Amino acid sequence: MKKYLSPLIVGFGAGVLSIVPVAKSFGCCLIIPVAAFIALLLEQKANNDYSKIEIKQGLLFGLLTGLYAALFGTILDFFITFITKNNDIVATYSELQKVINQFPISENLKDNVMNILGNVVESIRTSGISLIYTFSVLVNNLVLNSVFGMLGGIIGAQILNSRNQKNIT
Amino acid sequence: MNFYLKLIFFILIFVWVLGIFIEVLIPQFNNLAFLYPYLDIIYSHVCHQQPEKILSINGHNLLVCSRCAGIYLGSFVSALILLFVPIIKVNNIKYLIFASVPMFIDVILYSLGVYTYSKPVALFSGFLFGIAGIIYIYKGLQILLAEKREEEN
Repeated sequence: MKKYLSPLIVGFGAGVLSIVPVAKSFGCCLIIPVAAFIALLLEQKANNDYSKIEIKQGLLFGLLTGLYAALFGTILDFFITFITKNNDIVATYSELQKVINQFPISENLKDNVMNILGNVVESIRTSGISLIYTFSVLVNNLVLNSVFGMLGGIIGAQILNSRNQKNIT
Repeated sequence: MNFYLKLIFFILIFVWVLGIFIEVLIPQFNNLAFLYPYLDIIYSHVCHQQPEKILSINGHNLLVCSRCAGIYLGSFVSALILLFVPIIKVNNIKYLIFASVPMFIDVILYSLGVYTYSKPVALFSGFLFGIAGIIYIYKGLQILLAEKREEEN
């Protein structure tokens, strides 16, 4: 467990940042890749080991950072939605309705699409919980954060190896 | 990295990039409307989707901001080029840093209020980063495969 402490800490931070609106707008899609890089950096600093990082390790740290961020992000998102009975989907619902209404598609198709969204929004507004929404957020976060984390880990390992090589020479 | 591995990556990037254009595609492919709510949720987790920062084509908005669109389009172009040319040899990280400098300068300057957000600047700086990013990701995967081969021997 201690061996993978840095992805846990940084993953928690990234999970929080990815749902805080202002922080989210700064980091955008780079929050998780940067978090994976920081996890590798912290690991080196904690062990005082600046030897070459294998890409395999970068991948693993990126994956773990992404998974932790997904887990913490989803849990926080769930509780915030439950307490406030509001989230991005509820806030942008009227805008989404307008967009869907503008699509040059049949009324029947529009109604079906609206129903999918409407059910989610309605259950969040009334109970603060939508199982479909929570499940889709969890799956979405697990998949996307893992991928983005691994990509960050691959690049992060190369950045650190390049920097450490320079320091040695 | 062999051609098929690069092709798989290219297809994945292509599908991801296609997703951000869903609004543009729906008038041509009506049934894609069903995907719209899900894709909106998916992309909202990787981008803030602030309306003033989103590009639109013929009145149809993309699902991500200009910078993210630039990064993904850059990745797509890079992956397409790397399908047909061997992976460029990059021995250190300086090209990635050079490619990311415009993006970070842009983020810092508009955040400090030196100038207002410019969609073309965000798109272009993201595009540069996306191009370089894929080269380093491919290089990393190449090293990973070499590490694996070494382990096996």
